[in-house]
Formats: sequence, C-alpha cells, structure tokens
Amino acid sequence: MRVSKAGLLVVAAIVIPIVVEFRTALSWFGIELSVLEGVALAVTIVLAIVVWAVWPSDGNGNAETEPTDPE
Amino acid sequence: MAMRNAYVDQFPAEAKVIKAAFWSSFLALAIGGLLGLVQALHRTDVVRFIDSADYYTVLTAHGVLLAITFTIFFLVGIFTWAVTTSLERGVVDTRFTWSWYAMMVVGTVLVGVTIFAGFLEDAPEILGAPLNADVLFTFYAPLQAHPFFYVGLVLFVVGSWLAGVDWFRTWWAWRGENPDERIPLPTFMVLTTTLFWYICTFGVALSILVFLLPWSLGIVDSVNPLLTRTLFWYFGHAVVYFWLMPAYMMWYIMLPKLSGGKLFSDPLARVVFVLFLLLSTPLGIHHQYLDPGIAEGYKFIAMTNTMFLLLPSLLTAFTVVASMEHGARQRGGEGYLGWLRALPWRDPVFTGMALAGLMFAAAGFSGMINAGMNINYLVHNTWWVVGHFHLTVGTAVALTFMAAAYWFIPQVTGKALWNRSVALGQVLLWFIGMTFMSNAMHRSGLFGMPRRTAEPQYSGFEFEPAAGTVGEINAQVALGAVILTVSLALFLLNMVLTSFNGSSDAIPDNTYAGTLSGPEDAPEILDNLKLWTAIAIVLVIFAYTLPVASIVENGGLFGPGIEGQQLTLVPDTATVLETVREVMP
Repeated sequence: MRVSKAGLLVVAAIVIPIVVEFRTALSWFGIELSVLEGVALAVTIVLAIVVWAVWPSDGNGNAETEPTDPE
Repeated sequence: MAMRNAYVDQFPAEAKVIKAAFWSSFLALAIGGLLGLVQALHRTDVVRFIDSADYYTVLTAHGVLLAITFTIFFLVGIFTWAVTTSLERGVVDTRFTWSWYAMMVVGTVLVGVTIFAGFLEDAPEILGAPLNADVLFTFYAPLQAHPFFYVGLVLFVVGSWLAGVDWFRTWWAWRGENPDERIPLPTFMVLTTTLFWYICTFGVALSILVFLLPWSLGIVDSVNPLLTRTLFWYFGHAVVYFWLMPAYMMWYIMLPKLSGGKLFSDPLARVVFVLFLLLSTPLGIHHQYLDPGIAEGYKFIAMTNTMFLLLPSLLTAFTVVASMEHGARQRGGEGYLGWLRALPWRDPVFTGMALAGLMFAAAGFSGMINAGMNINYLVHNTWWVVGHFHLTVGTAVALTFMAAAYWFIPQVTGKALWNRSVALGQVLLWFIGMTFMSNAMHRSGLFGMPRRTAEPQYSGFEFEPAAGTVGEINAQVALGAVILTVSLALFLLNMVLTSFNGSSDAIPDNTYAGTLSGPEDAPEILDNLKLWTAIAIVLVIFAYTLPVASIVENGGLFGPGIEGQQLTLVPDTATVLETVREVMP
C-alpha cells in the first residue's frame, strides 16, 4: 500500500468535510447537487483514493509493504 | 524487566487527584453530551420526547456541564500534570490540592442539582425560592436562578483559583531551589493562563457576588441587566481561551513528540502565551455588538483587540505544523507534502489532536465573521454561532482532550489503553459527526435560523436557505449529533474498560517534547510575569472603564427596578401565532 491503513482512514474522513463544503460552495455558482449526488461524489472520491492507495506504486504489480509506525 | 517511568510512578499522590479530576470531567461530558443529542433531535423535530419548556433546562445543563465542568476539570488535571512534570517535583501539599478539587466538586453538585430540579413538576422551595436555574449558560438577568446556582458557580470558580494558587506555590518552591533556571515551558503556559483566569473571573465574581446573588436572595430589589451582562462577557470570552490553552499546550508539547520530533520554537510558544495573557480579556464586548446602551466606539475597540488575537493563533498554527513536519522528516518523510504520510496516523492521540487543530482552523474563519462588527449583524444570535463554538470548544478543545486522555489515563493509572483501534475510530467519528453538524448549523445561521429556540418551526413562514433545504439541514444536524453520540459512547467505553485493565509495564515514559530552539533563545523578559500581568490589567482598564461607567451612568448600578423572572412557556398557540404575525406579516 502507498499509505498505511490508518492514514487511508484519515484521508477518507477528511474527504467528508471537503465534499460537504464543496457542495455548499458549488451552490454559489448555481450548481446544486442533491444529497444523493453529494453522497455519490464522496463515495467516488473515497473509492478513487482507496484504489490509488492499494495500487502498486512501482507499476510492476509488486505491492509495497504497508508503511509502519517506527514507534 | 525495564523500569516503568509513567507519571503514576513519579508522582503517585498527584496522579490520584488528576485521575479524580479527569473522571469528574468525563462524567460531565457523558451527561452533557447525551443532553446535546436530546436537543439536536428536539430542535430538528426528528424525535421529541421532552416538553419544549424543558428544552431550556436541557440547554442550560448541556452548556454548563460541557463548557464549564468538563473543560475546567480536565484543565486542572492537565495543568497539575504539566507543573509537576516540568518542574520535576510534586505539589507543595497534596491536602491543599484535594481541597480545591473538593470545592470544585461541591460547586458542581450544587449547580447540577439546581439545574436538574428544573425537570420536576413542583420544584421544592428552598430559601423561599423554587429550586431551578433555567438561565442558560450565560445566566443573563432578568432571568433569575435559585441562589444555589450562583453559590455553586462561586465555589467552582474559587476552587479553580485555589488550583492556581497550588500551581504558583509549586513553582515558587521550585524557584527557591533553582533560582537561575528559566521557567520550564509547560509551567510557563500554566502560569500565564492562570493569570488571565484571575483577571477575567474578577468580572463574573463581581457580577455574581455583588449583583446576582444578593438579587436572588432578595437582599437587593433590582439589577442592571446590561451591567451584569457586560461583566459576564468580560469573563465570557476569556473563558474560551481558558478552555483552549490546555489544548494549545498539548499541541505545543505533545504533538511534536508524537510526530517524532521536537517543538520548533520555545520562544515563539512563550510569546503566544504572553499575547493570550495580554489580550484575552479586553475584548468581551465583541459579544455585545447588538446590545443597545454600549456606544459603537467601544465596540470598535473590542473588535480591534479581537483581531489582534488572531496573531497568536496564527503563530501557533505555524509553530505546531513546523514541529510536526520536523517530526515527520525525522521519521523518513520527504517532499513538499509527502512528509504528511510519515506522521503516526495510527496513533489516536496524534490523530485526534491533529484533526482537532484542523477543525480549529475552520473555527478561526467563522470566528472572524463573528468578530467583524458589521458582518456579525448577519449571524448574531443565530445557529451560526452555535456551529462556531462546536468547532472551538466542541472540537478543538473536546477532541484534543479526548485524544489526550488516551495518553493521560494510562499515565495516571498505570493501566494500558483498552483498545487503540477503537480510540482511532472514535476520534475519526467525532471529526465526521462534527463536520455534518457544524456545517449545517453555520449554513442555517446564514438564513437567520435562531439559536436557543426549542421549536424553530413557524406557521406561515418558511426559511429560505441559499443552498439545500431546511429539511436537509435538519437531517444533517441530527445525523451529526447521532455520530457524535456514538463517538462519545466509544470514548467512555474505552475509558471505563481501561480502568478495569490490570497494571501494565508497557506504559510510555512520562515526557514531553524537547525543543529545536530552547528557552535559552528566548529573551528573559518573556518570563517577567509581573510585567505582563500589569500590562494586561492596564489594557483591561482602557477597554472597560468608559463603557462600564457609561452603563452605570445610564442605567444605575442596580438598574431601573428589574425583577427576576423564571423562564416559562405558555402553550397558547394563538398568542404565539399572533406575535409572529406582528413581526412577519
């Protein structure tokens, strides 16, 4: 994995305020997302991040080991 | 077997007091948090199982238990830890420490019993007045509480004053043994915070002891509501920083260590705490922008002081993030942003504090809206303000305290944390829940939805949100409140089950972060507490003398015959509708 599982969880959590605020911000430009569309956007972003996180970074299909905390 | 060096091993007597203070804090958090869920579900009309009249009893208990009891009990625990750990000596007399803790407990019980008596159909009469205190966190006159409420508050605050005396005594004893040493940073933070606590609580003590308590006892017939309100806010904004300073302390002395590095700058941290000592109090009038009877010029001065106070918060953001980056690079982190991946995200103590800091940045932005005199008119007394302080005290402070508890409870009990993964999930859930709730509160404030209202649903009138619908905003608040309650339950579960764990040898050493630039780089004048206190008092005199004199001149010291009122709701729908139609035809 490119990031630790805990790091991935944190990123997924941070996506939520970004999407919630992004939806509000978009409305100022006349683009109104329904709740369902907002949820779909959040799920898509989180899935994309998960795919990126688990995708092997060397391009040869050799997954890196999960970063670990040195403590 | 390696020798364990946890706090409980170094200071077993002090650890007991701190543990008691923490558990008092958690109890207040549990009750106050649960009442928060009741309010969120009631206001949004999702589930209503209390009378709307009782909503204000719930609201008072929620505000007092969380904003005063939870925060300050945790603070006195953490400050006692900071002083003893950084001075490497115990308090002068543990019996004195227990006595101020006991005084705070007695005060809390008095206040709590008085508030909760408000749920009774027929509250008992004591001292000739019904036992209740539906006066909300701010206890504005002419709302009047039972005298026990005011006495309880006084005991609690005096207990916190004595705690300050305890910390100063310990420092004086240490100084006698180490006359040439600089004040260690954690103790410096405690002492500066205590000093502005003394300055700001003078206002609320005056308000209660000279005006509100004699008024509730019938010794005086009237009070001047604008005067007592101004004295409340003289204290009411500084108390925000009183809650916040232990969180700042954690960010300065724990986050760098948890990140694997050192604090970027000890001198900068000292400057920040000196600025809070100077500026925390002379700005309370910014809570009164819409109060008639205070000239606009005084409000403008309060606004200017408030904006100055952004500086220490921005300095903190810089110093703490720089320290975290230093730590991450020590752990092998690279790149402009790649170092973020090297931070210990699996550690709930670190993650909780980091997310709390992130939320505090958002709170700073909404706080600037509150502080701006003209734009404040848009959001004054709306749900926006509630959204704002759920980001500050409800997240920056509460989430930092909960995350810190995962480190402190093992330190003061010698028992390992029950479950670190649950703890990580808990802090993430708090972050997510608060995102939903506070975003919706802010948005609803923008279209004028009022705060402190049991039923903000009006016949013949519809709010017009700029984005989304009212139903969606209510759903978001209710969802956020439920997630927060689950998070709170997980926190309490972890704390309870940790206390049932056996003693562990795997508790980390009781240490805090070292510094890249230490106290030797800080000018010695920064440690001159007398000088900074004198300047802080002068600033308060400048900011408050003329407004208070003007309020007394116009309304009299004891007001124009203001009688106390108990908060009651008359369930007469026709009257309510008529009133609403008068203002919104």
